[in-house]
Amino acid sequence: MDIITTFEKEAGKKHHSLRWRFRLTPMRLVFMAIAVAAIAVILVRFIFGLGAATNLNDQWPWGLWIAFDVLLGVALAGGGYGTCLIIYVLRRDKFYSIARSTMLTSLLGYIVVVLGLLIEVGQWFNFWRPYVSWGHTSVLFEVFWCVSCYTVIQILEFCEVATEKVFRGLHKYLKKAMPVLLIVGITLPTLHQSSLGELFYIMVGKENPLWWSVFLPPFFLLSSFFVGAGMIIVESSLAGKAFNHKVEIPVLRGLVRISGGAMILYLILKIVDMAVKGTFANAFAFDLPSILFLSELLFGVIIPIIIAFSSLSGTRKGLLWFGVLDVAGVILNRFDVVFTGMGKYLNQYGGHYFPAWTEFIVSLGLVSIACLAYLFIVENFNIIEHRGTEAVEGTTTENGDYAVTAK
Amino acid sequence: MSKGILVDIPKCIGCESCSVACKLWNELPWDSQEKNKTAEDRAKEPNKGLWPDEWTSINRYDVKKNGSSVGRYVKTQCFHCEDPACVSACFSKALKKLPEGPVVYDQKLCVGCRYCMMACPFDILRYEWKKAIPGVSKCQMCPSRVTNNQETACTSVCPTGAITFGDRDQLLAEAKKRIKDNGYVNRVFGEKEAGGTSWLYISDVPFEDLRFRTDVTTKSLPSYTEGYMKLTPFIGGTWAAVLAGLYIYNNKNKEPLE
Amino acid sequence: MASKAGQVKKLSRRSFLKIVGGASLTGVSLSLAGCGEVATADSAAGGKGWMPAQYNAPGSWPTNVRGRVPIDPLNPSIVRDDQKCILCGQCIEVCEKVQSVFGNYELPIKNEFVCVNCGQCTQWCPSGAISERDETDKVFKAIADPNVTVVVQTAPATRIGLGEEFGLPVGTNVQGKQVAALRKLGFDVIFDTNFTADLTIMEEGTELLKRVKGDLKKPLPQLTSCCPGWVKFVEYFYPELIPNLSSAKSPQQMEGTLMKTYYAEKKNVDPKKIFSVAIMPCTAKKFECQRPEMVSAQKELKDNKVTPDVDVVLTTRELARMIKRSGIDFASLPDDQYDQLMGTGTGAGVIFGTTGGVMEAAARSAYYLVTGQQPPSALWDLTPVRGMQGVKDATVNIPGIGNMRVAVISGLANARTVMDQIKGGNAPWDFIEVMACPGGCEYGGGQPRAAAPPSDEVRNRRAASLYQIDAKATLRNSYDNPQIKEVYADFLTAPMSEKAEELLHTTYISRASEFIAKKSDNM
Repeated sequence: MDIITTFEKEAGKKHHSLRWRFRLTPMRLVFMAIAVAAIAVILVRFIFGLGAATNLNDQWPWGLWIAFDVLLGVALAGGGYGTCLIIYVLRRDKFYSIARSTMLTSLLGYIVVVLGLLIEVGQWFNFWRPYVSWGHTSVLFEVFWCVSCYTVIQILEFCEVATEKVFRGLHKYLKKAMPVLLIVGITLPTLHQSSLGELFYIMVGKENPLWWSVFLPPFFLLSSFFVGAGMIIVESSLAGKAFNHKVEIPVLRGLVRISGGAMILYLILKIVDMAVKGTFANAFAFDLPSILFLSELLFGVIIPIIIAFSSLSGTRKGLLWFGVLDVAGVILNRFDVVFTGMGKYLNQYGGHYFPAWTEFIVSLGLVSIACLAYLFIVENFNIIEHRGTEAVEGTTTENGDYAVTAK
Repeated sequence: MSKGILVDIPKCIGCESCSVACKLWNELPWDSQEKNKTAEDRAKEPNKGLWPDEWTSINRYDVKKNGSSVGRYVKTQCFHCEDPACVSACFSKALKKLPEGPVVYDQKLCVGCRYCMMACPFDILRYEWKKAIPGVSKCQMCPSRVTNNQETACTSVCPTGAITFGDRDQLLAEAKKRIKDNGYVNRVFGEKEAGGTSWLYISDVPFEDLRFRTDVTTKSLPSYTEGYMKLTPFIGGTWAAVLAGLYIYNNKNKEPLE
Repeated sequence: MASKAGQVKKLSRRSFLKIVGGASLTGVSLSLAGCGEVATADSAAGGKGWMPAQYNAPGSWPTNVRGRVPIDPLNPSIVRDDQKCILCGQCIEVCEKVQSVFGNYELPIKNEFVCVNCGQCTQWCPSGAISERDETDKVFKAIADPNVTVVVQTAPATRIGLGEEFGLPVGTNVQGKQVAALRKLGFDVIFDTNFTADLTIMEEGTELLKRVKGDLKKPLPQLTSCCPGWVKFVEYFYPELIPNLSSAKSPQQMEGTLMKTYYAEKKNVDPKKIFSVAIMPCTAKKFECQRPEMVSAQKELKDNKVTPDVDVVLTTRELARMIKRSGIDFASLPDDQYDQLMGTGTGAGVIFGTTGGVMEAAARSAYYLVTGQQPPSALWDLTPVRGMQGVKDATVNIPGIGNMRVAVISGLANARTVMDQIKGGNAPWDFIEVMACPGGCEYGGGQPRAAAPPSDEVRNRRAASLYQIDAKATLRNSYDNPQIKEVYADFLTAPMSEKAEELLHTTYISRASEFIAKKSDNM
């Protein structure tokens, strides 16, 4: 299945050759199928309400869509700001090769989050309300402003890439604006990543003390930072397969080390937190929350730290393990905060929630759409092969095709 | 003067006049299934018998008192916290605490994030899951009556004086007097719980047996996130300044990227 | 298309800044402009006035909402449809003021909702929210079962009420049509409770005379026991007066017992397969038939499979509903006769259906039982005990006994006053008839709703109809009833014989521990 579909844009044809390409592979057809199913479910949700498409109820007003699409989406897309910080602000130039792909993942992640939120909230048409009615005491207010502004900034940042190909006249302006965009684009996620954690601080007594903590903001911030490296590894190994392109080991290893450092800080903070709250007994009670809490730390933090600072991080296999465990750890953490942590309280009088299949479909569908968008953009814009040292114009082949054609 | 309502649990006979009055005043529709549930059924429901069109519910709990089993009826509705978590959690000001006491909701301003439901320390808010354009629902404490110096619909029909409307301060004093006179449990639920609530409950049997959240914090819930929200702009500003400084410093003697 | 592409190229720095600046300005001003918008008392969810539709009046109408009485969801007699309730407070009015039940107990309640099951609230409720507990389905099911003999009895008062459900004037006597309708509905055997009303008089009258003569070591005044609402009222509020209650069962329960014993034996029917239905003007009868004492047939036959003496009680309204549901044209039905053995009653039996009736019937019989002669004309028309006053007082002279002071009470608030007098030791009466419902059974909780709240005018018309049946009757004295003579000769031997005691008499329990009664003002 190696069909190459080539779209030609009529308008573009007159001025310069502008070609859009998108290969259809079986995997992409699967993505498309899931996306179509998700869109169908989303239609049902909009016509018949949340009750028709989800298992959400009055005991569980937040479910899979919040946990997966929002909390996890934002966390996993967090690699973007971390990489920006390392490359642009701290000028660790050796990581420059991954800058664009990481930022693209981040952008798509945030678009998924925003789309997910629009589907998730009851009165989506009122999404703009917080811009005018400032509920500034709400942590969610902070999250809302930061996420929406950051998404806009990321779009502008991406425009800097996009204008290499379309609307080229704007490129120089965007390039000039980049420093400001970058700095604001690092500040905002730092704030809302922590705020996402702080969201649960008001649920005192409802959230399990294993997760409820005064340190929720740093926990969420640090974990969103160190999951960045994991995401880059996972993403680059997946994309590497698709585009036959591999990121060099030293680059990844460097990232893993930085990430490992953040993990150590995270681990210390967790231990301090447990000591302060006196929850060691809860952590080692070996009931469901305790087991999940411990596996979060063991598999998601401790083992990755060991990999990061041992020779294992010099091998592709070791790096992949780091990536997988790191990402899985953060996934588990966010799910624990929303589900395991709230479960005992919300279910105490017979409450119950397990996501409906339709909820899974929508979540998977959003991810599929993001994947398709990623693949499309990578094939059509200068993302993967981008090197800082090369002149931008030079890499543009005559037909505007950046993708390395797979065998 | 902030208004309040005192619920004298032992005085309630379970006639449910109040919940019918709530329906009549607020024009809340009936549901054929919910209608047939008894106070005992509702006490066992995860939602305490509250659903989007049922803002208050009378629940019966059978508890032991002096060795014999007695039935107690508990009116359940929004507690109308003095400093409500839901209001602080709402990022579009759809919820508001009126100076007279009621915590009110305006669907026009609501985005539908349901953070209020998660934040509520008493799990009172309900959502219209079945509607395409849903809103949050809960007892509004009859704001159009209370702000016009009338008592709430439910208190106006109570035939036994189990629920009394008045100034919160006076009711609190009355509650303490009744506790002393009648030998009730020495606790006014709502005096300090969640930082104090407009609705005050007194009981002759332990609140634990009546499905009250007795372990709820006595600090006002918004105070938990207040400091964080106040600090955020400063932290953000400082952080941005630091980043800008670092950016300039690190890029000084280097080729710009790209 | 071409021009659009051209535009893009021409976009200058200035216009770019214009767009960006404009967008920012719009955003900032929007934010500042809307900053104040917030939920207010006026914009809040919720109502602005009592739901006008419920009151059939404009929303500005100053509705007087007053609450309502509590009703146990398991109450065997009455149910309430919350959706119809308008909180008018009429149920509180009747329960507290007329029946002196609501508000006469201390709070907190213990476990039970204090309710005497009289059902007057169903008569006072203007929106039909409170109703009898509908049990017609059980009866339809029994009728449809070919293995079951469905035996039915009809109370004295239903015959003068049922017609109203079908548009006939208030008080119309539809005894014959009622039997015909029951026959048409498929009831196998149709008896008249008037028969056991006569039997009650024999037992209760004998008991009264024994008390008066001192043969029975039980206190005077004797209180009637045929009204289950009244009996429950005594059990709740005056447990110390339980010995004063006549031990005779109510006519309904006597008939039920005899259906499963006497009738079963005589007609050779398996008592286990008898389904006993009672058509009553009363909701408290639904409670009475479920009392644990009311299983005499089961005890007598020593067979656990025999169901309670009366399986289901239907109110007059439920019977009307059955007739309507079956599509029977009631008005055009020909008159039919009760089945015999327990289907004949006297005029004394039929006036059980109104206040004073039991007293009048008892007076006639007592006279006969003492003297062996027919009573004088004054006892055939005992006007002092007729009429709608709450408490009526009379003196009956019976040769050999002397003057007997009797009282007739209807409405439990009236009863409360007299009971407090008895407790206080200053009660001159020997015999007191009490009916829970004002006016007696003819306006019982299960009778057709002729007016809400019930009016004395309707009560008088219904009572007049009953007295007319009595006046026209050939037999007007319980002991003259041939079937009464037969049942004593063939089955029970004599009033208050051992067998009669076992089958026709009952015991009562104190319900004082279920709640704390309020101290009476009269005490």
